[in-house]
Amino acid sequence: MDSMKRYTLLYIISATLFLIVACKPKAEVPSQFTETNTEAQIYPDYKDVVVPPNIAPLNFIVRDSDATASVVHLHSKEVELLAVASGNASARMDTTQWRALLTASRGSDVAVDVYTKRPEGWVHFKPFKFSVAEEPIDAFVSYRLIEPGYELYRQLGIYQRNLTTFDEVPIYENNREYADGENHCINCHNFRMGSTESMLFHVRSNHGGTIIVQDGKAQKIQLKDSTILTSGVYPSWHPTENLVAFSTNKTGQAFHIYHPEKLEVMDARSDLLLYDVSKNEVSHIIRTTDDLETFPCWAPDGRTLYYCTSNIKPLLIPSLPDSTVTQQLLLKFDSIRYNLMSIPFEPKTRSFGKPKMEVNASVENKSISVPRVSPDGRYILYTKGDYGQFHIWHKSSDLWVKDLQTDSCYALTEANSPDTESFHSWSSNSRWFVFTSRRMDQNYTRLFIAYFDKHGRAHKPFVIPQEDPEWNILLLKSYNVPELSRDAVTISMQDLHRCIYETEGENAVYKPNPTAIIEIDGTTGASRRADNK
Amino acid sequence: MSKKPSQPLRKPTQKQAATPPKQKSSVFSSQLSPAKLPVLVIFFALTWLWAAWYYGSVFYISREYSFWVADLRMMDFILSCPYGGIRYVGRAILQLYKFPWLGGLLLALILTAGSWLTGYCLRLRGTWRLLQYVPALVYVAVITWHGLDIFFEARTGFIFGIPLVALNVLCVCAIIIRSFKVKPLAATSRGKGWAVGFIILCFAAIIGFDQWQRPYVRVICQLLDMEYKQDWAGIQKLARAHSMMSNRPMACSYAISLVQTNQVAERMYDIRLDYDSLHIHGIDWQHNNASVLYVPEGDYYGGFIESSMHACMEQMVMTGPTVRLMKLLIKCALMREEWELAEKYLAILRRIPFEGAFCEKYGAMVRRIDLVNSDPEMAQIRLTEPIHDSFENQYQAPLFMGYNLMLVEGRSQQALINSLCVCLYTKLMPQFVERLEPIIGTTPPSIIMDGIMLAENKHPGLMKHFTGLNYRQPQLQAFIQATQPLMNDRAGHAKELFPKYKGYYPYYYFFGNLKATKKGYTSLSSSNSGVN
Repeated sequence: MDSMKRYTLLYIISATLFLIVACKPKAEVPSQFTETNTEAQIYPDYKDVVVPPNIAPLNFIVRDSDATASVVHLHSKEVELLAVASGNASARMDTTQWRALLTASRGSDVAVDVYTKRPEGWVHFKPFKFSVAEEPIDAFVSYRLIEPGYELYRQLGIYQRNLTTFDEVPIYENNREYADGENHCINCHNFRMGSTESMLFHVRSNHGGTIIVQDGKAQKIQLKDSTILTSGVYPSWHPTENLVAFSTNKTGQAFHIYHPEKLEVMDARSDLLLYDVSKNEVSHIIRTTDDLETFPCWAPDGRTLYYCTSNIKPLLIPSLPDSTVTQQLLLKFDSIRYNLMSIPFEPKTRSFGKPKMEVNASVENKSISVPRVSPDGRYILYTKGDYGQFHIWHKSSDLWVKDLQTDSCYALTEANSPDTESFHSWSSNSRWFVFTSRRMDQNYTRLFIAYFDKHGRAHKPFVIPQEDPEWNILLLKSYNVPELSRDAVTISMQDLHRCIYETEGENAVYKPNPTAIIEIDGTTGASRRADNK
Repeated sequence: MSKKPSQPLRKPTQKQAATPPKQKSSVFSSQLSPAKLPVLVIFFALTWLWAAWYYGSVFYISREYSFWVADLRMMDFILSCPYGGIRYVGRAILQLYKFPWLGGLLLALILTAGSWLTGYCLRLRGTWRLLQYVPALVYVAVITWHGLDIFFEARTGFIFGIPLVALNVLCVCAIIIRSFKVKPLAATSRGKGWAVGFIILCFAAIIGFDQWQRPYVRVICQLLDMEYKQDWAGIQKLARAHSMMSNRPMACSYAISLVQTNQVAERMYDIRLDYDSLHIHGIDWQHNNASVLYVPEGDYYGGFIESSMHACMEQMVMTGPTVRLMKLLIKCALMREEWELAEKYLAILRRIPFEGAFCEKYGAMVRRIDLVNSDPEMAQIRLTEPIHDSFENQYQAPLFMGYNLMLVEGRSQQALINSLCVCLYTKLMPQFVERLEPIIGTTPPSIIMDGIMLAENKHPGLMKHFTGLNYRQPQLQAFIQATQPLMNDRAGHAKELFPKYKGYYPYYYFFGNLKATKKGYTSLSSSNSGVN
């Protein structure tokens, strides 16, 4: 009786496996099909994009409501690849074959033929193509996953994705279960020039501080001083010196009740700081009351610091007290506009020169944020919207570049969409950049990669590939602050956890910089050199 | 001849006597002796009744406050928490509570099987067998004790997770006991009557406690259930049937039903609005004001779609997604014509069992603004949407109240009526009088008429701008005359006067909601928040 049962069980398992295998469509191009003049509807859109030769397979879903199966045939001059899918499931490419296809297609196009099986037979859609660039992209992208921009936080993490595969690993995750005494926010992770050897991120609320990782060791520091508004916020590692430029921002946010953009994040005050990692010393670069300085970014030679600034004096009523600044600015939120500035820096003497206007966006009623200089030093990539600086919530926000050789500024039309484009990061060869966009559903930010050719033109971007493309829909978090890097972060989550939970953080010593721009009285408008602490 | 018929009867008896009970496969069945079966059956029936009929609505809402899909990646927010696996499985089974009779049946089966196995594993005999029901009864009691807390912060995985783990442990113990061929206990009929009495007594005590200490739990859940099903008449009937019960979730559901049926200025004060304290705890088990239960819906039905989305998102951050939040976000996305976003949420909701009907109804509205605007619920909400943008923090919380206190321009007569009603509710008469101008020359709804008569004192001549007020004046005079002696201790007399003056605004004005309106309208405490 027992053996009878065993055989029955074996039979059921075998039959089930057989059915599963039998139901999967064969990986072959249908011999008979009907041609259509329409293009296949695929998700995500990978048509006519330019991809790096080291990117993970671009799995996609063929959307054909009548189809019971689909076959995808990718072919270049020498190599071809077949992928099959049942119904509206995704066509998943074999990684080895994909790698061979991209290697063989470097610098040329890959044609894609899509066939779907409908009740009346196979249908062949109009083929499309994508191009494979010669230059690879930095293999890793780190980002924060967070619900899109609300006030509270709970399960937060900074993750690292290997773009050549589908591997995603956490760099650091906060507490999984909410606890008042443990809950903390993590943000603004940053690497030095695409290398993870020097890395930092901030911890807010419980266990707060700035975590600096160098030589595989993490330490917590506190950038606090009576002259510093809050602590370090938006960072930029100096390319050669052990320095970090930070903005320090007094930030608030407010929620619209009837507006296409759901919320507005604004600074009431902001300044720029310079932190010397080796000496644990901090000083001001610029400290003003009438101007909001933010988003510092070093040029690759380390001799210029770019940043954004907005003069808010005209928006404020002088007779009202400082405590009303936030409310006053809130009423004029769509009149706050930032320009792109630069300030020279002499690394040897650590002295700053005279600020220079790089892009005067406010004259055209526009506002700039997040400047990032290409590693070859030729271009500044930034976002430009109608107002404000937290462009992730501004539908008008687009990607622009300034060519530092010709001084010309232009929109990266191919990369932009009617929706928001925001935070971005260059690949170390300056041929690729990754950026955040809300084009998929207007709310949840996804990462897109765009090719930036040697003529300074961006090409149609594509969303970072997922093993299951539907994950772009199902994930209820936004990708935030993408940072490309050539290598992987090596410090373990346990080490970071230990540093965050078990150390208080060393206070940075405030040491005035004699070349800093200090303008704190706000009445004369005169700039004064030397910090008056 | 006489022996023949007796033989077939006697034979098995002899066999049993000769080879002691064929216990190889009947260890468990020996426990199910005829003498014991009825107790288990009675226990099962009572548990099912409790789980499906008595507490079914609470478990139903627990399912709405839960989220479960088979995709493990999407469930990582639970799986990565302590006891994630148990909570995942618990949430999966909770899905059956889409149909309370079915969920109740399974819960009753688990508790009954658990009780039976407890008796078996502990080798209980005689009257001690009563003890086998104790763990299950403790579970029922604990669930009842927690009341709204069982689902409030989405700890819903434990509802089924705990009994399921207990059942598994008991199964393993039973198998071990069986493996060692421990001699089964002989069946006994002793204690049967006691057992039945004990079980009935326990259930009566638990239900009695619930009715005494947590009577609002079932009512709130029934109201929320009706709200999700848009059963406005049902909400009104149930709320009025429990008009002495007073809590904010109930008041909000009731107000929503009245706004949806254009009765807010006629029937708002049919229920007591003094807001007794609720046994409800948030994250970290701190006492909570229960605003989580009604603010997203209050904003949505008040016409504040973005603020409703905001409230939904904040809750989603803290508890993870829930069926209820997903559904509300879908409606909000449709109202805002964010079609791709609606499709995203619909794609997620489709993965949750038993949500096909909702997805079908609202999926059809994607990219069909005509269907959105002609939906009765959404069309009613459109009438009260703001005309101009402003920021939430410019108003007192919750927004659906605070905004209406400052309304200067409305989209419809309904928006004005809502604003006037909020002014009356908060007893802010200057704001109320300021907003009367558009309805001058009309016969206002009864509550607004009463408000005008009360405002007449400080604004002489106000009444003459309206018609139909005269016939209500004697009632007001009679009320003032009758309550004048009680005015010195209004809080002390509020409850006893309510049945007499139920539905009458002047009663509310002088005796109702005194805690909140003592120093003018007070907002809810703000959350611990920051820019992320």
